[in-house]
This record gives sequence, C-alpha cells and structure tokens, in this order.
Amino acid sequence: MSIIEIENLEKTFKVLNRHEGLKGAVKDLFSHDYKYIKAVDKISMKINAGEIVGYLGPNGAGKSTTIKMMTGVLDPTSGHIKVNGNIPYKNRRINAQNIGVVFGQRTQLWWSLPVIESFKILKMIYQINDKTYKDNLELFDSLVKVSSLYSKPVRQMSLGQRTLCDILAAFLHDPKVIFLDEPTIGLDVSIKSKIRMLIKELNARKNTTVILTTHDMGDVEALCQRAVIIDKGKIIFDDQFESLKSMFGSYRTLKVSVDDMSEKNINDTIRIIESAFNQTKALTVNRSEDWIEIIVDQDKTALTDVLSFVINNIHVSDVKIEEVEAESIIRKIYEGGRTV
Amino acid sequence: MNQGFKYYLKIYLAIITQDIKSKMQYRMDFFISTLGMIATNLSGLISFWILFRSIPNIQGWDYHEMIFIYAFSLLAVTPVQLFFDNLWNINDKVLRGDFIVYCFRPLNIFFYYMSEVFDVKGLSQLIFGCLLLIYSWASLHIQITVVSILFLFVTLLGASLVMIGIMVLACSSAFWITNSTSVLVFMFKFKDYSKYPITIFNTVFRFIFSFLIPIGFIAFYPSEIFLRPKSTTILALASPVIGIAFFILAYFVWMYGARKYSGTGS
Ligand SMILES: Nc1ncnc2c1ncn2[C@@H]1O[C@H](COP(=O)(O)OP(=O)(O)OP(=O)(O)O)[C@@H](O)[C@H]1O
Ligand SMILES: [Mg+2]
Repeated sequence: MSIIEIENLEKTFKVLNRHEGLKGAVKDLFSHDYKYIKAVDKISMKINAGEIVGYLGPNGAGKSTTIKMMTGVLDPTSGHIKVNGNIPYKNRRINAQNIGVVFGQRTQLWWSLPVIESFKILKMIYQINDKTYKDNLELFDSLVKVSSLYSKPVRQMSLGQRTLCDILAAFLHDPKVIFLDEPTIGLDVSIKSKIRMLIKELNARKNTTVILTTHDMGDVEALCQRAVIIDKGKIIFDDQFESLKSMFGSYRTLKVSVDDMSEKNINDTIRIIESAFNQTKALTVNRSEDWIEIIVDQDKTALTDVLSFVINNIHVSDVKIEEVEAESIIRKIYEGGRTV
Repeated sequence: MNQGFKYYLKIYLAIITQDIKSKMQYRMDFFISTLGMIATNLSGLISFWILFRSIPNIQGWDYHEMIFIYAFSLLAVTPVQLFFDNLWNINDKVLRGDFIVYCFRPLNIFFYYMSEVFDVKGLSQLIFGCLLLIYSWASLHIQITVVSILFLFVTLLGASLVMIGIMVLACSSAFWITNSTSVLVFMFKFKDYSKYPITIFNTVFRFIFSFLIPIGFIAFYPSEIFLRPKSTTILALASPVIGIAFFILAYFVWMYGARKYSGTGS
C-alpha cells in the first residue's frame, strides 16, 4: 500500500532578477523582470509504508524542494501529491500530525529549554498519550542511551547531540512518515553510525516510512533498500539500492601522484598506463588536480594488477584507493544511461 | 485533532513557564535586563516630569491628566513586549531560512512563532504603569465603580491590541522586504507619541495618528473616556472595537505573508 503518492509533481520558483545599487533597488520594486527556476520537474513516485528510501542527487537537484512539498510547506506548481491520504499543502496541520521532519542543521527544539521539557511540550502539541510517551522514551534510551542528555539545554549541545535529539523528537509521536533532510551533515563517524542504527531500529520496530536525503553513500548503504536519484529536477533512477550498488560497487578509484607534475610527464604517464590495459577497456585515466585518477572496473581487471603495474613502471610518490563517489556515479548514470 | 482554546492555552502556559524557568537560571542576565528596563522607564518618566511639571496645562490637559495618558500608554505597550517579543527576530529567521521550521508542527503558525519567546523584563514596566495610573487616577479623583474598572480593562485590552496590531504589521514586512528590522524600530519609536494628547499635534499628524498609524488609540482616545466623560468622542468609544479589528487585520496580513513566503520560499 502506498503511503506517499506523487504524480507529475512540478515546482517552479519565480525569482526577481535583482539590480545593483540603490537605483537598482528602486527599479526592482516595479520590475517584472523574472526568471523561472524549475526545481522539480514532473516527478512521479510511489512509496510504500515501512520503506526507507534514499532520496539522492547533487546539490541543487531539487531534493529539499520535494521534501518541502511533501511536508506541506511549499505548494506545488502543478501535479499531485498525497501523504497518508492527505494533500499536504491543503491540510498542512493534519499532515503535520502524521509526519516527523528533521531538516539538517535547523533544530526544531526550543533553544533554551532542556530537551526533556521540549519533549513534554511536544507531548501536548501532538496529544501523545502517557503510555506511548513513556514507552517511546524507554525505547529511545535503550537504543542510544540519551537520558543523560535530557536535562541539558539545546543551546549547550554539540551538533551531533542536537541532531540525535531532533531525530528522537521527530519520532516521539509515532508518525507514519519521517522526512530526514541531510540528518548526518557535518557529523563525525561515530555519531553517524549511532544515528543510522537508531533510524534503522525505529523503522523496524514501528514500521515508520523514512525518506532520507543525504550526500553520504554510507547512510544509503546502511539504511536504504531503495534509492531514488534526482538530478536537475528529474528522477533519473528509482530502483533497489542493490542494483545501484552493483553499478558502482565493482569500480574503484586508484589515485597516483608522481614527483614530476609537469604537463608532459603527466600526459606520458597517463599514456603508459592506458596503453598497458588497452585491450581490456577496464580503465579510465584522468588528471584530477594533483593526482592522476584511474577508475578501475574490477569486473574486467584486478585492482592489484593495476596497482603493481603502476608501482613497477612509474616513479610514484603517493598512492590512494577510494570508492567511487556517489556524485560521479550519478553523473555517469545521467550521461550514459545505465551502463556506467 | 482536537485543538480548541484550551489546547492552545495549555501549550502556551507550558512554554512560558519553561521559558521563565530557564531565564531565571541566568540570574545575572535577568537582573541586568530588568534593571535596564527600569532605568529606561525611569528616565522616560523623569524627562516627562521635567517637561510638564512647570506647565499648568497644555491645550486644556493638566499635569495629572498627562500622567494618566502616559501611564495608560505604558500599560498598553506592555503586552506586545511581554508576549510578542519574538517579532524582533523575524528578519533573521526569514533571511536564514529558519522560518520554515514553524511550518512543521500541527499548530497555527502565528501562535507557534509568537509563543516561543516571553519577555520577563517587561513585567517591571507593567508595575510602573500600574503605579502611575493609580497615582493619577487618585489625583484626578476619578470615581472607582464597577463600570469604570470594567471600562478600564476593556479599553486597555483594545489599546494593547492596537499596539500589537501595529507591531505585527511591521513584523509582516519581513515576508516582503529584506530589512524589516528597521520597519519594526521605526514603528516602535512611533509609539512614543502615544504618550501625549493627540490634540497637541497639528491636523496632519492628528490624521495620521488616528487613521494611518493609529497610535492615538493606544492611550489618548481611550483615556478620554475617563478624563472627559462628558465630551467623549466617537473615536474614544470605538477604541476597543478598533483594537480588535486592527489586530485581526494585522493577524491576517501576517498569516498571508507567512504562507506566501513559505509557499514560494522567496
Ligand atoms: N526559495 C527558493 N527560491 C528560488 N529558488 C530556489 C528556492 N529554493 C530552492 N531553489 C532552487 O531550486 C533548486 C533546487 O533546490 P533544492 O534546495 O531543492 O536542492 P537540493 O537537492 O536540496 O540541494 P542540496 O543537496 O544542496 O541541499 C536549486 O536550483 C535552488 O537554487
Ligand atoms: Mg537540500
């Protein structure tokens, strides 16, 4: 059963072309010189109850805009959207009762109050009954051991502690859907993994539907069965995360730096590497800033072979191996269909 | 969802109580800001006193009557300072995009936004206003009857709503322009003119203060009911109604702006 239904959803922002200076400001007052930004361009998707969906895409792709429409803050320019059977923009308050929202670094807790007092106020606002409230607090504490934080005012918390509390607050009233817009932005590895575990557990226990935007493929890997990728307002991928992973899972980036970074030497080096693996078509070699970047398709050739060739044939000063970044996968999907 | 008056009141009281509690923990802060408020009020009163003490009357208004209007104005300005202090933060929240978080709760946005801050230091002004009003009331030998007390409350409520309305309208400007704080400051300064009998201004200003930026209704017109009961004007009697109407207007403009702002995000 779909809990979120989106059909041909579109959002166009109308932005005034501003002019400079005082004269420009006066001009702007009467100006009709608008430009239109299509942030979300005819997207459609259905999300089932209990799914965790990774909503991915490069900066400015339209992720936050879509989420704002699903939470009833923004009105769509055209198209249809239903969350829990409600049309969010028309029934903002009823919709709000059924959802939880965490927007990156913007806390929704009362800044000067201890967290537990914020929770008590939320209990009143969402009319949470005593038992649910108590059970949830116990559950939260059993998962992330946060009760020691509860007496601390939000303004004294670290970003990580605050985000953790914001996420808990979003789950407090047992919403059917949770929207998390870049919840792990700016956090260190240990708090990230805590947050991932928390979301996963709460989703499993409460069957809460979770829509998550992030630039961190680790988040997606840990949490999402399904990934939806949006670029320039259009959905370019919507499938199991596994199938996305299989597309980039076999790729690794090998980065090499050489002592002599002159244009000529770099080009020579690139040519040497390329020609060695010419037959297999397993490599893409580029210069990227101070590194020579070799993208290796491990299905075609072993990374270790490439590495040993490089070390034996070139004077390298440094080497590193990286996973291919989500953004470059997305770019490839966009450029070359789904063949990477 | 059951969200009556009781629901909102309960939430409001919970937020205010917690807010006061947390502010009390910063005792120094609290004392200093209260002292500041007292100092502001004292200096205002002293300059008022120096100015008008020696003048037997200004256009028919004597010293104690002037004090009455002054006190009335102090009291009428207090609620906006106590309950609507968050309007001073609007510019920041809108510019930084933080305003959006007020749209995520199943609450009226205006309520949720304004409920966030309660300004305790305004209480000292309340006490000031009360003392001055009692003093002038007694000096002027105005009768204390059930009706006059009732009138006092109704007119004060109306007057406060006018002041709140003015500031909420000024606050709404944040949804259209990027420098709304200056509008707020400007309007807040304007209220200083409400301490004087409107009749001392020339016709142009009298018109402005009555019909455009209706600060005449913050103190002067409602005070007339007590000071000139025999020659009370229509404007004086209408002041509570005008207060309510003006507040409702301001509320809808604010809500419209908030909806428009968050709806388009620009
Ligand atoms: N309020 C607004 N007014 C005008 N344009 C806007 C507004 N909000 C977003 N946009 C534009 O719409 C596009 C999509 O923005 P959006 O915030 O949805 O991107 P995003 O996918 O969330 O990006 P990021 O990963 O950087 O958060 C961008 O080009 C942005 O500049
Ligand atoms: Mg975003």
